[in-house]
Amino acid sequence: MTHWLTSTNHKSIGILYMMTTLLFFGIAGILSLVIRLQLARPDQNIVGPHAYNQIFTLHGTAMIFLVIAPFAFGLGNYLVPLQIGAPDMAYPRLNLFGVYLFMISGFTIFAGVFAQGGAAASGWTAYAPLSTIQAGTGAGQDLWCIGIMLNAIATITVAINFAATILLYRAPGMTMWRMPIFTWEILATALLILMAFPSLSVAMAELLLSRHYGAHFFDPQYGGNVVLYQHLFWFFGHPEVYVMILPYFGVISEVVAVFSQKPLYGYVGMVLSAFAIAGLSMGVWAHHMFTTGVVANGFFSGMSFLIAIPTGVKYWNWIGTMWRGRLRLTTPMLFAIGFLSNFLIGGITGVMVASPPIDYHVEDSYFLIAHFHYTLGGGALFAVFAAVYFWMPKMFGIKLNELLGKINFWLFFIGFNVTFIPWFFMGIEGMPRRVFTYPAMGDLPWLNAVSSVGAGIMTLGVIAFLLNVAFSKLESKVREPLANDPWGGGFSLEWATSCPPPEFNFHALPPIRSERPVWDMMHPELAELRS
Amino acid sequence: MHPASVQAQDLAGVWYIFGGAALFVAAFVYGLILYSIVRWRERATDTGIPPQFTRNPSIEITGVVIPLIIVIGLFYITYVREGVVDFLKPNPYVTVNVTAYRWSWQFRYAGHPVVVNGNVHSPPTLVLPLGKMTQFNLYSDDVVHAFWIPSFLFKRDANPGIANHFDVTPTQTGLFHGLCAEYCGLDHALMTFNVEVVPVGDFDRWMASGGQANP
Repeated sequence: MTHWLTSTNHKSIGILYMMTTLLFFGIAGILSLVIRLQLARPDQNIVGPHAYNQIFTLHGTAMIFLVIAPFAFGLGNYLVPLQIGAPDMAYPRLNLFGVYLFMISGFTIFAGVFAQGGAAASGWTAYAPLSTIQAGTGAGQDLWCIGIMLNAIATITVAINFAATILLYRAPGMTMWRMPIFTWEILATALLILMAFPSLSVAMAELLLSRHYGAHFFDPQYGGNVVLYQHLFWFFGHPEVYVMILPYFGVISEVVAVFSQKPLYGYVGMVLSAFAIAGLSMGVWAHHMFTTGVVANGFFSGMSFLIAIPTGVKYWNWIGTMWRGRLRLTTPMLFAIGFLSNFLIGGITGVMVASPPIDYHVEDSYFLIAHFHYTLGGGALFAVFAAVYFWMPKMFGIKLNELLGKINFWLFFIGFNVTFIPWFFMGIEGMPRRVFTYPAMGDLPWLNAVSSVGAGIMTLGVIAFLLNVAFSKLESKVREPLANDPWGGGFSLEWATSCPPPEFNFHALPPIRSERPVWDMMHPELAELRS
Repeated sequence: MHPASVQAQDLAGVWYIFGGAALFVAAFVYGLILYSIVRWRERATDTGIPPQFTRNPSIEITGVVIPLIIVIGLFYITYVREGVVDFLKPNPYVTVNVTAYRWSWQFRYAGHPVVVNGNVHSPPTLVLPLGKMTQFNLYSDDVVHAFWIPSFLFKRDANPGIANHFDVTPTQTGLFHGLCAEYCGLDHALMTFNVEVVPVGDFDRWMASGGQANP
């Protein structure tokens, strides 16, 4: 235990990140079950409005700031040095500082539960002036603001570390254009963080100053402007969406290529599209504000549409990778295909809500939150599972059971779609987000009931996962230790060292002549042809 | 989707075009993914390794150009229709000043002594004339709210300190549901209102009675 908390080794820090995010994922998941229980039928009062408002605030905050983004930081911490043939991250002590700060940020936010008046209850977006007026928001809101600020600083430290490590610590022969695609996506993510997160810290500082020191940034009575907060928040918030998805694009690219037994199709296009997405995402923030009536809707709509093009390139290349391949439908590959299926719905509905005439109807409705649950839940979360199944053998020397893995996948995949497909129709019918109850109107009652059943099926999927971990851990004790490349056919350097790797990762490195050195080593005759 | 105003019919047109494009793209991509899985999944009889190709410039360029054409088309439709809907037409039949507050609404009919107030237990009713243009001026007394009538496929934020303006021309009589869409605190879920669209004669009589009679 002390080892995990004090080691500056990138692998133990990576695991500390991921374990912490799994803890918060458990909490956020239980909160979402309370939400689905409350909404299973109209006019219920299982939890009242005050509790409900805290619950959805904490659910959103935890999933965004404490689960989906930081899991990618943990995974990146573990994999990036291995993939580029480095012994550790560039700044190991900054790295440990960052993970501490991240953990403290999570505990600070949740400490609000014990504050008078309860935890923060103004949504994960904390729009001013709702979040600055004192009535109904006490110390819980302050703890939330402080926690988010610490989280932003932690995130910036990890981004600096990624950028420095990737740019300066690559092994001899590992040129930029030979880096694995996951490492490229992490580099794009790191640059995006450095551009976007300072704005979040500023927004939090201004909230705190408004709440306690009479600053009037957002108070129209004193010349402030309520929309200013939305600009500051979404200038961070939209890039954050891509911080939460670019690393997982990397995961999916690795998994699809390895299990298609073919090199990633359109590698250069994949890299360029990651940076195109990162760049464009800095110029679309006000598409969250189409209904405010005070932003240039046309500009932000057009910029948002453009993101469909690099994202389309990625889909094109994933399909190109599978095309004429030899697909091994292992559990990580199933989760990757689940990602392709779900994220497609998230992406297409994303183009719809990028059009103001459509957004005027569905902004802040269940249609909108269905859209982003398809990108972050159906997308990022499926990629988290793909990553866990794919790299667990490397990290712990434990290969998860394939049968339980497939049960896990199908329960989670079916449950996910049963939960979230109804939301699109609920939104079109007029159900707004963030309501603790709804009238028995039109199709809302049965759509909500179906959605709650889906949440139950998803829960069974998670239980299958936990059983799988427990079972596979026991099984690993009576099994032969795993080979360096337990899946067979791995591409990048993490598969050239033991499971788990030694303290400084490698005793010897294979020659690096392409973006898949381990594959070249196993197929010398083909590697010759290429070079 | 049952658009109940002239503006909603314009907006619904965008929905239908985007919905069609969405289904087309989804069918195409799902087709490719499913075909790949079925056609190229590993079989016990497979030997050796599959072809190791990595790119095909003409196909990659096609994969950029086709989506570009699609989104340019979608953007053009968006831009034109948004202009039509957001354009504030002159000479409204009636102007309603809407004030949102936690957690209900006030409707004041400009130039008439008609004021409708509500609370969470008895939501207010907004009475509108059929086939006539009503201009809305939207205000908020406290935090950010949003004025949403799903049957009109339209909402707009009510910002403290910034007034918003839009117009609506209902095309169907009847009762419709309205609500606050922007989360505004404790009883946000109960911040609803009714919309009653009545023929012009009934509307005029209702206005003449100072909003007292049954419309």
